[in-house]
Amino acid sequence: MKRVVIVGGGTGGTILANNLSGKLRKEIERGQVEIIVLEGSESHIYQPGNIDIAFRGAEPEAFRRPPTKLLRRGVKLLQQPAKHIDLENRAVTFDEKKLNYDYLVVATGSVAAPEAVPGLAEASLIFHRSQEEAMRVWEALSAFKRGRIVILTALPHKCPPSPVEAVFLTDELMRKRGVRQDVEVIYATPYTRAYPAHGIADVVEPEMEKREITVQTLFNIDRVDHQVRRIYSLEGEELAYDLLIAIPPHRGADVVVKSEIGVDEGWIPTDKHTLNIKGHDDAYAIGDATNIPISKSGVVAHLEAVTAAEAIASQIHGISNTYLYNGRINCPLELGGHRAVFVSGTYTRQPEGQKPSLTKYLMKRIFNRLYWTMLSGSLEPIFKMYLGPTYEVK
Amino acid sequence: MVRHIVDARGSFCPGPITELIKTYRKAQTGDEIELLATDPAAKSDVAAWAAKSKNEVVEVKDEEGYIKIVIRVLSKGS
Ligand SMILES: Cc1cc2nc3c(=O)[nH]c(=O)nc-3n(C[C@H](O)[C@H](O)[C@H](O)COP(=O)(O)OP(=O)(O)OC[C@H]3O[C@@H](n4cnc5c(N)ncnc54)[C@H](O)[C@@H]3O)c2cc1C
Repeated sequence: MKRVVIVGGGTGGTILANNLSGKLRKEIERGQVEIIVLEGSESHIYQPGNIDIAFRGAEPEAFRRPPTKLLRRGVKLLQQPAKHIDLENRAVTFDEKKLNYDYLVVATGSVAAPEAVPGLAEASLIFHRSQEEAMRVWEALSAFKRGRIVILTALPHKCPPSPVEAVFLTDELMRKRGVRQDVEVIYATPYTRAYPAHGIADVVEPEMEKREITVQTLFNIDRVDHQVRRIYSLEGEELAYDLLIAIPPHRGADVVVKSEIGVDEGWIPTDKHTLNIKGHDDAYAIGDATNIPISKSGVVAHLEAVTAAEAIASQIHGISNTYLYNGRINCPLELGGHRAVFVSGTYTRQPEGQKPSLTKYLMKRIFNRLYWTMLSGSLEPIFKMYLGPTYEVK
Repeated sequence: MVRHIVDARGSFCPGPITELIKTYRKAQTGDEIELLATDPAAKSDVAAWAAKSKNEVVEVKDEEGYIKIVIRVLSKGS
């Protein structure tokens, strides 16, 4: 019997497990294949919902479901955190037990790590880490009447559009509350422009100017002194704040760090096309967990999951195809006023500027609802039609 | 002196600056960072970043299908 072990049942891990169970239905029924997901959390969180919680006061319940409800029949769920991943001996350890695998997928995501920057954890509110913390952002913004709000980004982090969305929605909220004339909104970014991809920056910057949002570019946070409410940058600048909302640097999952299979802050060295963990043709990494220089986003986790599922299923079926992810991305970016653009491209096609529209905003809102169905894999034909090719077969 | 190779080819969003900064944070004064990128904005972005952070761009070269930029770390800004 062949055993596929998937560590992490977030966006990528769930899509991969469901997709693979569809492709290997017969083998699973005959007891020839087993798919096991190890997931350490009681709730699967739809993380983009944190934007709605933090900046619109949305209720968190709509954005979380138990993982037991999300996996298709044929996938076994172990609600246990993996403690150790041993790539050499093809084994994952959990709860003092050892699970050997034939194929492994690591989909353990990334976590916001404010502790990496002195003073940042005490000084800032963070909507990237949990629903509870996103609720605290909403409480703070709802009570804020006068002074300076700084929204600050540090590298690396997941979801490149999210800081910019936070800025626009903060501005919108302050206007709705009638206090914008007494509130300064500053966006501090390590990039040279308000958005790293210049085509998108061309759209974002005039919108920020129109709304009197100040952009402080080339600001790489070094430390924060919350006593005097000041942020200091690696470039030697400082910035005062009354309320600090931060997108801190992110790191890989603890299990990746402890198993010593990651580099730098716990990113798994991964081939950007085959998604194999480098040096291991029986192990894959997908989503935020990899060191691939691409946006850490749900869409990437999704499309990498689909590619890796094809690769594993074809190997089990004895077909010698290679599946190569093409770096397709397609992330919504909301600009307030019910308008959005999509940051869209591949490894060889850079994102282009486009007119913000209500249609794109509505597509983002609809996706919030479709997410749970998408995880099952049943919408794959629609995504294929909409996104075009996302991998090459060789 | 250490030369750090940063391969950011294929990255347009978040782009090569993300990879550069990640490496810059762990580099020491005197080290070199060799950045490989396909994003055409890399040249102007790195030049702006180096000017602001007081580091030196020592080489910019158009290779076949990508750009190579070498930066010498002169200052960590603190
Ligand atoms: C505010 C916000 C807005 C966002 N907006 C968008 C957007 O609009 N579009 C978009 O595409 N992306 C967006 N994202 C990013 C997106 O949510 C992530 O990139 C995506 O969830 C990554 O998927 P993943 O499977 O790699 O990791 P995750 O979905 O984070 O899943 C990782 C899973 O691994 C589990 N895990 C970790 N360690 C272990 C262990 N030791 N054992 C077992 N399980 C473990 C975790 O519990 C978790 O369930 C947003 C993120 C945030 C925070």
